[in-house]
Amino acid sequence: MDKREQQSLAKGTIAVLVVAALSLVIKDGYTSNLIIWMAIAALIASSLRFVLLIGELNFATAAFVGLGAYGAGVVLTILEWPFVIALVFSGIVAALIGFLFGYVTLKVKGPFFLLIGFAFTEVVRLIYTKIDIIGSNSGMVGIFPPDLLAPYYPTFAILVVGIMLLMLYKIENSHLGKTFKGIRDNDQVVLAVGINVHMIKVLCLTISAFASGIAGGLMAFVNNVISPGDFSFLLSTFALAYLKVGGEDKPIGPILGAILLVALSTVALSFGGGDHIFFGIAIVLTVLLMPKGIVGLYDKWRQHRKGERAA
Amino acid sequence: MSSHQVLLKTEGISRRYGGLMAVSELDMEIRSGEILGLIGPNGAGKSTTFNLISGFVKPTAGKLFIDGKDVTGSNPTQISKLGLVRTFQHGSLMKTLTVHDNILIGAIGAIPPAHSRQREDRVHEAAEMLGLTPFMNEVSGNLPHGVQRLISIAIAYATHPRILCLDEPLTGLNQTEAVNTLNIFRQIRDQLKCSILLVEHNMKAVMQVCERIVVLHHGQLLATGTPTEIRSNQDVVNAYLGAKHAH
Repeated sequence: MDKREQQSLAKGTIAVLVVAALSLVIKDGYTSNLIIWMAIAALIASSLRFVLLIGELNFATAAFVGLGAYGAGVVLTILEWPFVIALVFSGIVAALIGFLFGYVTLKVKGPFFLLIGFAFTEVVRLIYTKIDIIGSNSGMVGIFPPDLLAPYYPTFAILVVGIMLLMLYKIENSHLGKTFKGIRDNDQVVLAVGINVHMIKVLCLTISAFASGIAGGLMAFVNNVISPGDFSFLLSTFALAYLKVGGEDKPIGPILGAILLVALSTVALSFGGGDHIFFGIAIVLTVLLMPKGIVGLYDKWRQHRKGERAA
Repeated sequence: MSSHQVLLKTEGISRRYGGLMAVSELDMEIRSGEILGLIGPNGAGKSTTFNLISGFVKPTAGKLFIDGKDVTGSNPTQISKLGLVRTFQHGSLMKTLTVHDNILIGAIGAIPPAHSRQREDRVHEAAEMLGLTPFMNEVSGNLPHGVQRLISIAIAYATHPRILCLDEPLTGLNQTEAVNTLNIFRQIRDQLKCSILLVEHNMKAVMQVCERIVVLHHGQLLATGTPTEIRSNQDVVNAYLGAKHAH
């Protein structure tokens, strides 16, 4: 691990601990929920970004979040197994299905993969509506964290999200992560040196699906109620908005985008269903005005300052 | 330098694209420790031959042997694991990655994950061999064309190939860079005790560095021999070289 990576990991860990500690002192339920929403949105957007490391836009992210949420719901309310198992299962079920999905679909690239992800999300959502045991159209209810944990759930959720984000960061900076980026830039060269490009891409998607599944599990325990409509392609579109606004070049981008847009969307919600339009406008404006997002803008400003100082 | 141990052999290998026979019943071999040139006019089938032996294209007929083992139809990953690694004519590197990370991809392909220290050592060895050490932390896409060419060779070098296949590695290099690169090819061959297959349009360079040359014409083998034999082969002169290279 190089010095810069060590510093980033240390800064990230401190940030997670500070936010987790803050959530302990915030007693206002609305604000607590808002912080959890920001954290979950950051994890979903980071999962979306993770697959971008191999150069693919994974619109199936929403499906994996849904599989995690339904996985947790089934384990807790139907099988009546403990909370911890439900949460771990939410990641595992999404990862397993992510592996199969990736194995079959990652032979295609670009717009074809994007469309398959979109279709997969919608098919999975429709499947939920046809299964009575998971509540069909009405969804599942009564997905609560244990009574002992409930008062500290915001802190718990932030810590879990923090661990997942740090894990994604660590993988991105490992040799495996560099292979992902190599595939994004030039998969033929990676293939030529003896790396099984297809399986590496599948692994990338599986890791991302695991993170999405955990986000889904956490979401189920926040809302206590889940329904098929929560996991439509719109969820992937929102994640894309967080990513584009924050900037996709660095891991901090989707986190910043999620915090900003979730905060602003609470304002948009007060206009009644205007949040969809709001997210659409956010993507268009960002692509036009700051293609590298907030992170890109910050980098530009820093370079400008550097230039000024040198002069 | 070259001995007669055959590392790679094709027997009647052919590739058809619809009505076009890109390579037709080609018999060729790469021997241990030699630098072999593959030449021919545009459309002669050089790139297809390259793709066939590296597994990027499957033959429609014929067989491919590596170390005497029939590997016909193997994919690029399997071929690479047997020690044959290639570069590409256009875009043989990962432009947003640093030089270090580009070469690292080659080391990752050859060395298991448990030996990450060894991977780093290999990166530094390759960088030193190709003279890339000063550029290690630079983003490769920002570097001059000549340096980018060396990076693509360094990626392949980092796998420690037994057969290194270079697809027009001198294209776009000036005379000094080309001469330096030719010296590097010899050093790589001597250091790794590997064979090098060189596809190149720069005839002067091919004649200078290769110990044997295979000439293709219309997808078929036209001639094979030492540079001296190729220079004096009338069929080759008529089809490709022209009078100025014959002397």
